[in-house]
Amino acid sequence: MELAQHISRRFDEDLEGLRSSVLAMGGLVQEQVAEAVNALVIGDSERGLQVAHDDHKVNDMEVAIDEECSRIIARRSPTAGDLRLIVAIIKTITDLERIGDEAEKIGFLASRLAAMERPSNNYREIRHLGRHVGQMINNALDAFARLDTAAAVEVVKADSVVDEEYELISRQSITFMMEDPRNIRRILDVMWAARSLERVGDHAKNICEYVIYMVQGQDVRHTDLSRMEKAARDGGSGGA
Amino acid sequence: MLAAWSYAVLRVCGLVLLALAGGWVFGYPWLWLIVLALGFLAWQLANLHRLERWLAVRDPRGGIEAPGKWADVVAHVGRLRRRNRMRKRRLAELLREFRHSTDALPDGAILLNRRREILWCNEAAARLLGLRAHADRGLRIDNLIRHPDFVTHLERAGSAGGRSSVELASPLDEAVLLSMQTIPYGDRQNLVLVKDITYQAKLEQVRQDFVANASHELRSPLTVISGYLDDLVEDEKMPAVWGGPIREMQRQSQRMQAIIGDLLELSRLEAPGGETEHNEIDVAALLAQIHRETLALERRPRDVVLTIDTEARLLGRESEIYSAFSNLVANAVKFTPEAGRIEMRWRADSLGAQMSVIDTGVGIPPESIPRVTERFYRLDGGRARRSSGTGLGLAIVKHALQKHQGMLEIESEPGRGSTFTCRFPPERIVVPVENQIPHDQVPGT
Repeated sequence: MELAQHISRRFDEDLEGLRSSVLAMGGLVQEQVAEAVNALVIGDSERGLQVAHDDHKVNDMEVAIDEECSRIIARRSPTAGDLRLIVAIIKTITDLERIGDEAEKIGFLASRLAAMERPSNNYREIRHLGRHVGQMINNALDAFARLDTAAAVEVVKADSVVDEEYELISRQSITFMMEDPRNIRRILDVMWAARSLERVGDHAKNICEYVIYMVQGQDVRHTDLSRMEKAARDGGSGGA
Repeated sequence: MLAAWSYAVLRVCGLVLLALAGGWVFGYPWLWLIVLALGFLAWQLANLHRLERWLAVRDPRGGIEAPGKWADVVAHVGRLRRRNRMRKRRLAELLREFRHSTDALPDGAILLNRRREILWCNEAAARLLGLRAHADRGLRIDNLIRHPDFVTHLERAGSAGGRSSVELASPLDEAVLLSMQTIPYGDRQNLVLVKDITYQAKLEQVRQDFVANASHELRSPLTVISGYLDDLVEDEKMPAVWGGPIREMQRQSQRMQAIIGDLLELSRLEAPGGETEHNEIDVAALLAQIHRETLALERRPRDVVLTIDTEARLLGRESEIYSAFSNLVANAVKFTPEAGRIEMRWRADSLGAQMSVIDTGVGIPPESIPRVTERFYRLDGGRARRSSGTGLGLAIVKHALQKHQGMLEIESEPGRGSTFTCRFPPERIVVPVENQIPHDQVPGT
């Protein structure tokens, strides 16, 4: 009896440690995105390159967490909620790693854009989009930490705002390109950065879907918002 | 004990006497005894049951009616319960007051247990960090505040056991700058204090901007003034009486230009430029240049010695390192008599690399050592008059080193001389492959 308790406590600690390392990775990724956007907005090529250079830290963390997941599956054969937690973690870190890749891209673009002429609005739209997307990552990770499905649904809703903002930036960029074709190269880079941020928003949204899956056991990918909200509400109010 | 037994014996005797009396009057004394004893037992059991029911109610109003000894029991229990209720109410009030007062604090406070789980946080902490005061209890703080700087800060606070603080943007609003300090207490528990330092940071920024702008604006008029003064010094038609004052004016305007130059340099070093670039600096060549410049000075100590013990190169910005080193040497020259000696030494070991400037000058009194890197700090009136420095040299050295994660160490003995050592961490040092160049001494003069 005592031995069984001991084993299950160790197991709980393992899972808790795993969750924490996912969130630590999330923190790093969020910081990477913020730094990359910052570098682009203030035109600091060194900082941009630094972000791109630091992407390997994110990758290393993904590999380490992945290994830990396999180890837990092999040794403890988790079931039900524990299994869902591990599946959700494996998916979450993939998305986090992709966010890291987008940050790397933005970092590169930032270092390239720093050498070019700056527009009169000082990349205000990118800063705005970046802040929005950063908030989304933060809220998605908060929902993950608190197992809060209601907050997860909020993040999914916020993604449409990001999509709209991206749409606006691309329209604006087309106008700028038509006004002065000499700027096409620079504006294309800005558009790539905006596109990367929009992708980051999508990844944050995915993470929230895994949160709902983890807590409620319902797969809400590729469904509409009302079904997702229903899934998030059913089966109790959040905490698992 | 004895009283209890005598009480019981008395009661039982009374019961037996009553039964005997009944038996004597109506006959069947044994039946009387049994019936009376059973009746008494039933009566006690019934009372016990009522007492148990009464105690089972959580918050009874008033007592229950019970005869005999049971009334005393009920009274005692009732008194105990009332006293308990009052104590509880007092405690609850105290707790409420404590919570109100901590919620009124402008700074956030979070209590963490040894597993970094939130035990309690006040309202300010919840507001500044976006925590939920009740729902987040029991969650690990590094799961909610995920900034890498904060996580490493927590780890370090746990292992070193000392106080430390970290600055980061609030997770809710990146325009809000927070300073978090972790204070260990009890059994590996931690108190985290959160402070909104946006205003202070802004103030510091304004101060830096002001110094930079003011120095910049002062420079142009000063250039005009010193230009005319230069002309006047050479003007032969000038009455001889004015020669002295004009030369003094020229000296002072040169000094002012030097101060403004240093102020500008200092505000450039203070500007938050993040990491300095990673160019390899050939320290040996740099020091050789400073050595040549020092030898070329008119008034200098007799011996100026350069000792290069390592080929190690430093990663950083050459102009800043040059200004740090040359300021140190200039300082040593200023305070060392002409019969004295100055040595510059560049060494490397497992702890990094050090550049030392050792002089046999007047030295610094121990109480002044911590203050010499302050701006415009002067040791004493007499020395300040003699020296012509700007008062900013060591402040520049300190800031230039800080930008390279370096440290300035000062050892000094008044009358015997001082040693200024710049320490650089190993990550800033690159050692070339052909590493062995022992004791390459360049003698002075």
